[in-house]
Amino acid sequence: MADTDAGSDTADGEPTGDETDDAGPGDPSGLGDGPGRESPSAPTGGLVVPVEPTPTLRQTVAYAIEAAVEDGFSTVHLVEIASWRDGDPGAEDRAASAERVLERAEAWADSDLDDLDGERPPVTVTTELIGGDEYLFGPDDYVRVLAAYAAEHGADAVLLDPEYSPVGNTTLLQPLEFALSNTSLAVETAPVTRPTRRERLRSEATGKRSVAMFGFSLAFYLILGDPFYWFDWVTGIATAAIVSITLSRVSIDVEPAIPRTPMRVVRGIIYVPVLLFEIVKANVEVARVILDPRLPIEPTMNRMRVIVGSGLPLMTLANSITLTPGTLTVRARDSDLYVHSLIPSARDGLFDGSLERWTRFVYYGRASARLPTPRERDDCAILQGPDATEELPIAAADGGVEGSVGDGDSQADPGEEDREDREPTEVTDG
Amino acid sequence: MEALGTARVALVVAFTLLGLFFSFVSMTGVLRLPDVYSRAHTASQADTLGAGFGLAAVALAIGWEAAGVKSVLLLFFIFVTNPTAAHAIARAAFEEGTVPWTEGDERR
Repeated sequence: MADTDAGSDTADGEPTGDETDDAGPGDPSGLGDGPGRESPSAPTGGLVVPVEPTPTLRQTVAYAIEAAVEDGFSTVHLVEIASWRDGDPGAEDRAASAERVLERAEAWADSDLDDLDGERPPVTVTTELIGGDEYLFGPDDYVRVLAAYAAEHGADAVLLDPEYSPVGNTTLLQPLEFALSNTSLAVETAPVTRPTRRERLRSEATGKRSVAMFGFSLAFYLILGDPFYWFDWVTGIATAAIVSITLSRVSIDVEPAIPRTPMRVVRGIIYVPVLLFEIVKANVEVARVILDPRLPIEPTMNRMRVIVGSGLPLMTLANSITLTPGTLTVRARDSDLYVHSLIPSARDGLFDGSLERWTRFVYYGRASARLPTPRERDDCAILQGPDATEELPIAAADGGVEGSVGDGDSQADPGEEDREDREPTEVTDG
Repeated sequence: MEALGTARVALVVAFTLLGLFFSFVSMTGVLRLPDVYSRAHTASQADTLGAGFGLAAVALAIGWEAAGVKSVLLLFFIFVTNPTAAHAIARAAFEEGTVPWTEGDERR
């Protein structure tokens, strides 16, 4: 499948040479097989290599050069995909360190090209930092950015570093490969020897994360116990050691840093009374609605695209929204939050984005908290009721699921809701 | 009880009553509201302010002692776990394909 796709892509946009000789019969990589690989003298297309400072980056670059020479790629694109967003505090530092990694990788690639026997092959190496204009969440986002870059530069293959993981400690390799297989790009993972899992666990667990985890667990243990009793210190240290060894990688996904982490804690403490005030205010409003004999509710599902990073910031925001009565986070799909609102005033409050700004304040500081409301950004939509501007994403899939567990009727039509109403045991058979 | 002082007793009673009130509202909501999503809203209310005021009353009655500190910690954990649970329930309903109730539908 990759073969034909790569070929057709080349035929579209690239000047293809004649297909007389099929060089490199012993091609070990399988990259750029087919018509895209004519001969080294008529190279086509480019090879995109996403770069991160991994232990296997050096070998990946070496393999990329080897593959480019053998398969006749004219360009090797070393790209680093930004996992941050330009304008975040610290973004410049991260961009600078990314540039350094790119420079190093480029130097490696150059020296590999020079070291080849004979004449230096006509392969150019370019570097670029991409994706800094938005937050990227899952593998789909990374692949979208990669595919856009590849289309723009006429590249038709991607080489993945097996250790490539742009977001924290979770490995993205398999999801990335899967998402890439849906594009027209040929994909391969560099066959480099990677350190064993055991070594990685040990080396990462000795970092700042486990120190932070240890301190936190010990402090919590001593609060529950008696900090002036020696035996609690002994058991506490043992417990905290076990917790930090086993859970530090799971619980903390961003390396703690000295000015940043304490600042976040301090700003988080500032946020607590604000959140409490919002909760009380919303509670009173909802209580009034519930106790009203007419029960004047207008529940709707809404969609809001939020501008906070993935992971902890997104969780903070989603949980804050849920804690505030009247709004309930139902689903988080990348940066889209699906929020159910009970009354219009709660929905308006949500679209004014005060919780979003506060979350940005907690994680990125005061300057980042100034941003237009979701309403001004046009990042919100009502999915139900008279003011609906978008389709509810479950309406279509609904019929199938319900039908399969229900009484066997086909329930794909809108009359389905009436039927559910007549059947009060719907929840129990579902 | 005389160790507590009148003002403190009054505050403890007030907090307890407020907690009771919000728990009552939450229960009413679960009975009156039409579907799983809107009930999840009000069920989380019992945890936030119902249990919140209750634990605040406990902390105030016990004072600055180990148990009082622990009740504040309890409050903190409720505030972390409650939205997570509410989200899990709502998300399960959403994945099952339950369409939220809107004006004009009948109660389920």
